[in-house]
Amino acid sequence: MPWDSQELKRVDFGIVFTVSFLLIAGLVAVYSATQSSSPALANNFVKQIVWVFFGTIVLSIVMTMPMKWFKQYAYLVYLFSLGLLVLVLLFGKGQGAVHRWFVIGPIRFQPSEIAKIATVFALARYLSEEQRDFANPKDVLMALAIAAIPMALVAKEPDLGTALVFAALVLPMMFWAGLSLLSVFLFIAPVLTLVSAFSFWSFTITMLFITAVLFLSKRGPKIIIPNFLFNIMVGIVTPILWNHLHEYQQNRILTFLGLKQDPQGLGYQVLQSKVAIGSGGLWGKGWTHGTQTQLRFLPEQHTDFIFSVVGEEFGFLGVSLVLLAFFFLLWRSFNIAIECRSKFSSLVVVGAVVIIAFHVIINTGMTVGIMPVTGLPLPFLSYGGSALISNMILVGLILNAGRRRFQYL
Amino acid sequence: MAKWLHMVSRRVVIFRALLIFAFLGLLSRFFYVQIIDQERYFQASNKNRLRQVTLAAPRGLILDRYGEILVDNLPAYSIYAIPNEMKARDSVFAVLANLLQRPADDLRRIYRRERRGPFQRVKLARYVELPLLARLEERKMELPGIVFDVEPRRFYPAGIKAPHVFGYLGEITETELEMYRDQGYEKGDIIGKKGLERIYEPILRGEKGYHYVEVDALGREVRVLKELGEKLPRPGKNLYLAIDAQLQRFLETVMADKRGAAVVLNCKNGEVIAMVSKPDYNPEIFTRPIPKTVWEALLNDPGHPLYDRMIQSMYPPGSTYKLVLAAAALEKGLVDPDETVYCPGYLRLGIRKFECWKKSGHGSVNLLQAIEQSCNVYFFRLIQKVGLNPWVEFSRKFHFGRKTGIDLFGEKDGLVPDSTYFNNRYGKGNWSRGQFLNLSVGQGDLLVTPLQMAAFAMLLANRGIGFRPHLGRMIEDPITGDEQYIAPDTVWVRGISSRTWDFLHEGMFRVVNGEHGTAKLANPGRIHVAGKTGTAQNPHGDDHAWFIGFAPFEDPQVAFAIFIENGGSGSAKAAPIARGILRLLLRNQKIRIPDAMRLRMD
Repeated sequence: MPWDSQELKRVDFGIVFTVSFLLIAGLVAVYSATQSSSPALANNFVKQIVWVFFGTIVLSIVMTMPMKWFKQYAYLVYLFSLGLLVLVLLFGKGQGAVHRWFVIGPIRFQPSEIAKIATVFALARYLSEEQRDFANPKDVLMALAIAAIPMALVAKEPDLGTALVFAALVLPMMFWAGLSLLSVFLFIAPVLTLVSAFSFWSFTITMLFITAVLFLSKRGPKIIIPNFLFNIMVGIVTPILWNHLHEYQQNRILTFLGLKQDPQGLGYQVLQSKVAIGSGGLWGKGWTHGTQTQLRFLPEQHTDFIFSVVGEEFGFLGVSLVLLAFFFLLWRSFNIAIECRSKFSSLVVVGAVVIIAFHVIINTGMTVGIMPVTGLPLPFLSYGGSALISNMILVGLILNAGRRRFQYL
Repeated sequence: MAKWLHMVSRRVVIFRALLIFAFLGLLSRFFYVQIIDQERYFQASNKNRLRQVTLAAPRGLILDRYGEILVDNLPAYSIYAIPNEMKARDSVFAVLANLLQRPADDLRRIYRRERRGPFQRVKLARYVELPLLARLEERKMELPGIVFDVEPRRFYPAGIKAPHVFGYLGEITETELEMYRDQGYEKGDIIGKKGLERIYEPILRGEKGYHYVEVDALGREVRVLKELGEKLPRPGKNLYLAIDAQLQRFLETVMADKRGAAVVLNCKNGEVIAMVSKPDYNPEIFTRPIPKTVWEALLNDPGHPLYDRMIQSMYPPGSTYKLVLAAAALEKGLVDPDETVYCPGYLRLGIRKFECWKKSGHGSVNLLQAIEQSCNVYFFRLIQKVGLNPWVEFSRKFHFGRKTGIDLFGEKDGLVPDSTYFNNRYGKGNWSRGQFLNLSVGQGDLLVTPLQMAAFAMLLANRGIGFRPHLGRMIEDPITGDEQYIAPDTVWVRGISSRTWDFLHEGMFRVVNGEHGTAKLANPGRIHVAGKTGTAQNPHGDDHAWFIGFAPFEDPQVAFAIFIENGGSGSAKAAPIARGILRLLLRNQKIRIPDAMRLRMD
């Protein structure tokens, strides 16, 4: 290896095989989902093969690059991605008032995909620095800001699903970097209060729970009292603020949370997806024999709802196999995070694991109606170049960290 | 384990626990949906992809007596919108409106009214012509979500539209759906609304079939699933009419510029050989919702094209009705046919003066001469002698005042006024002889339909034997080839002696063939015609012209009634039409020339 002199471990083939399996499963499903339709869509299978090939090259490059380069340029990459996010808001393409993509020749790419990885780098670098002290609110707020800025920009596109990825990223990474469990709880508590604030009884129960945890934590009144008061305040202010919102704003929030069916028929999509998966049964209807898929009752079947195709045509067995593959990939990746001597590498792996896990849980959960429809694709399986490349980069980083787990950087 | 994590083990456990918890949660959810609830979703997916599609039965044809197709089926195209696929709705409607020559707001209104869901197609227009469809196809790129489909439509290859005879089809209404609930009609079905299409609906309609098709989410049919069972539609039966297309065409042409009606019956069995009501309308306007302007134009048309003058409009029959009074007087022995009456051109009764059509008067006439020359004064005096009741009795005997029972919808009874009627109308004791003097010459409150007059001519021709007039002659099953003839119902006029019949025949013979006959213009040559003219006074305008009769005199084969609304005198306007009819029938050898005539010509 030209860039490296220190001891290198072998590539984790378990992960390589698992990812290969998922990519092949994705191609199989994409083929089935697109073969019966118009020529324009039928092309997508071939395009996806090209993307897989391209992604493999990107993965190999990322895997072999020295980890310290990523650490070194983390903030630069982060700032660059923020710049792209601003630019896409100004000049980007999309449908209607949506600005998500840049179009460069035949390629359409989403800067939010780069921003996810860049934010992982920036957070990993910031959190892995020696002088970090989570008792210092400035450090905590700074970490939160690193995630909040791209999150806000992506939310503005608007791509709320991807924006949530940034929110999901920051707490696990801070926790992994040493933030106490109580602190994590204190961050989550206001969210609980906010949600429960609409009913007097749920609010009371939530507040009792929070008070109990605060009391049992045996921290001084300097921590307990402000937190208690803050939660109370959230609980009181939320309904007032809510009532000040316009109805369309309320509807937008409810729709996003999946509490209200929107006019575009997301309810219809989820129902058809459930019918597809449910009718697959144990064994499935067989490849390219799924009626929901082939007769195009399934919406977005080669992208967001690709897992419904798996569920219909390969049944519970296919679903279990794919879910187990994801579980194995994440478990194995997390083991790398545990073993890494470099805090930066470890945090990068945790970030990558969280991103992939978040996509898998939200996406597959959506297909059976237990998660809101947010437009998050299923990693490695959904059709789409940007997402595939960014997921391959994440795997490349995980494998990279795995090979260098005994390096200190 | 990495050195930088001093309390790593607790964090690892939490991370791992969360991961296991999340995936177990997902797996159990999938287990629930795919294994426990599988049956439910499987049925839902079957319902999604399987659709029972009704197969429309081809409607039976209507043919003339010789098998010429009068009413045929033509594939017509309807235009639908699929809401889910309609992008840029406003521009689609604009392009479509331009092609269909209809306001875009119209289309938008239909769309809004009929829309049932994002994947249910909405019928925007029916019966679109093929060239238009081609232009639509050309601009398909501008019309996302617009599709078309076939549905049957009637057309008239013989060039005879005769809307009052054939009627027309239309989409079934809610009321009709309710009425025929147990006969398997569905919303959107096409049903006969008027005329033969309505009367023979159960025969022409056929039986719908069905099969199962696999459909995609847009409702597009992917393939037929024969293994699930199918039932082929049974085509409607073909209706052969008694109508002679050639004669019908001739009559349509002759009457085209007139208002009136003409009926030609086969007096051997009551078959309608031709029948026309003019003016009429194009039945095709009813194939789609009628624009308000067109409908109002039809309603306000001074020619009243919507009225079926053959069976629905009632008129005074004029002098043709003198035959009824003559029969009554003869049969009751209330007249000496040879006794003459002096006609000075009018009859004075009290302060009222009843005029004969010939101002200078007919001089002395006996009954036969009075029929031949249609003298009013003779019949004024006659009814004074006979009285109202025998006149009513004989009117009823000849089946006036009730429907003939023809196989058309909406026939009217006509009106034979009797003393009850007069009492109701004018009050008891408030009416006198003067009131019914006019009845003797077919005026006053008496009302008949042209079809009733044709049936009357048939009864006269056959000396009291008549048949229910009918258009339908035979019903043919197109599959088995079975032919089922429609048997004529017989109608009798009893209690009239052959002497009276002879007398009436002689009078009618003279009307056409006598020296002073009023219907000399009806004589076609080669055969003898018998008839009676009528010129009915009309308080609202010009007189109505009538001519009824039968031919050949020696062996009656056809009976007819010609009626021209505001046409003037029966002799001048109606009789020549009868001549035309008979000449055509003779030329086409549809009338057998009686042996007696042949001998005379040889």
